[in-house]
Amino acid sequence: MGVVTKAVNWARIKSPWILHFNTGACNACDIEIIATLTPRYDLERFGVQLKGTPRHADVLVCSGPVTRQIKDRLVRIYEQMPEPKFVVAVGTCACSGGVFQDCYNVMSGINAVIPVSLFIPGCPASPKAIIDGVVKLLQSLEESEAKK
Amino acid sequence: MFKDLFQILIFPGLTFLVIFSLFAEYFDRKLYARLQNRVGPPWFQPFADILKLLAKEELIPCEANPRMFKLAPLFAFTAAITAFLYIPLWQIKTLFSFNGDVLVVLYLLTIPTLSFFIGGWYSTSLFARIGSVRSMTQLFAYEVPLFMGILSSALLANTWNLKEIALFYSAHPWFWLFNLPGFCIALIALLGKLEKVPFDIPEAETEIVAGSFTEYSGKLFAFLKLTLDIEMVVGAALLAAVFFPFGLQMNPFAGFVLFLLKIIFIVFLLSLLRTVMARLRIDQMIDFCWKYLVPLAFVQILLNLAVKGVILK
Ligand code: SF4
Repeated sequence: MGVVTKAVNWARIKSPWILHFNTGACNACDIEIIATLTPRYDLERFGVQLKGTPRHADVLVCSGPVTRQIKDRLVRIYEQMPEPKFVVAVGTCACSGGVFQDCYNVMSGINAVIPVSLFIPGCPASPKAIIDGVVKLLQSLEESEAKK
Repeated sequence: MFKDLFQILIFPGLTFLVIFSLFAEYFDRKLYARLQNRVGPPWFQPFADILKLLAKEELIPCEANPRMFKLAPLFAFTAAITAFLYIPLWQIKTLFSFNGDVLVVLYLLTIPTLSFFIGGWYSTSLFARIGSVRSMTQLFAYEVPLFMGILSSALLANTWNLKEIALFYSAHPWFWLFNLPGFCIALIALLGKLEKVPFDIPEAETEIVAGSFTEYSGKLFAFLKLTLDIEMVVGAALLAAVFFPFGLQMNPFAGFVLFLLKIIFIVFLLSLLRTVMARLRIDQMIDFCWKYLVPLAFVQILLNLAVKGVILK
């Protein structure tokens, strides 16, 4: 692995910019995600910044089950993100459909529609669990890069 | 020839400027975080951001005009760097100097805003277009007080050449104190130019996503981000050269340290202002600039004319 690739991988791990998207959550998971981004937990320590547009984001943070209505929008937002990109599913609903599983208007978890790199269960997932999950994602990236 | 290239590309041109402006961004963000009682990003954060963006895929919307879309960030970047070469840094002489260069620097600093407008307009996204129009509207509000503030200092020195301004103020050591109101005006107008809170209306994240930058990704966005950082350093250097023109005859090393301190001080003021204020609406911003900043700038010009007529005669 050349020096440039190493430096780029380091930069990717140190600067994950996120985009938050509600795919049909009951809103509790969104509140927890917003709480994670407040000065109390200060995610900027890890270089995390909340971005408004998919073009700038590296990590798509989804909450809630995928409803039939939001499915096309979710895929579109995912396609608007530049490579390399990751998806994090926050909350039990986003992992598997949760309490909304088998509803007539719900398609189950996020990975029924787009590939997901990390599942963070919890109803709702607490800010600490979300931070732990993000750190684990970054670590696993580091390890998989080291193996190459 | 070789020396010129070294000065343009390495020191104090491109390389030095990019590294220093990334450092200034770190300083700004860290201070912002500390003032909000947070820990803030580590020192390498801006470098990591830029490196990551440079290595990302760049997407060009299929409705955008690819040539304009790609050229706009490069124009902005080049103009911001070029402006730096005309500013006296730690000695009286500048790299390239001619009569009227203070105006050229001011106009070179306007080119990034125009490029943002063109880039946003040609990306054909709705958010980008609203952001572009807002940045143009804002341009007409802050540009006049900025010019008046900076040129009032030049008026006192009776020259439009940055080198001679520096010469004048080293011949009349305490005269820069007369320009302090002008400095406040120019500092506030600079906030508008850098699109920082309270004047971040063109890229208001909660309303219009990211303004003119909405459709930019990868390398092109990295250049836009670098341009904003460099504009901050160049703007601060211009204010330092025009309003704090002291300590320019010291030995190069001490002068260089003083120059860095002056820039860091101005960046400090910018971050402080952006922490304690919230975003204005576009009409409030324009009202504020035309009703308060411009009259204040007139008072500054009258004051300088009086000083020129009474004390210097
Ligand atoms: S996991 Fe719980 S809190 Fe989160 S969206 Fe589902 S039901 Fe709401």
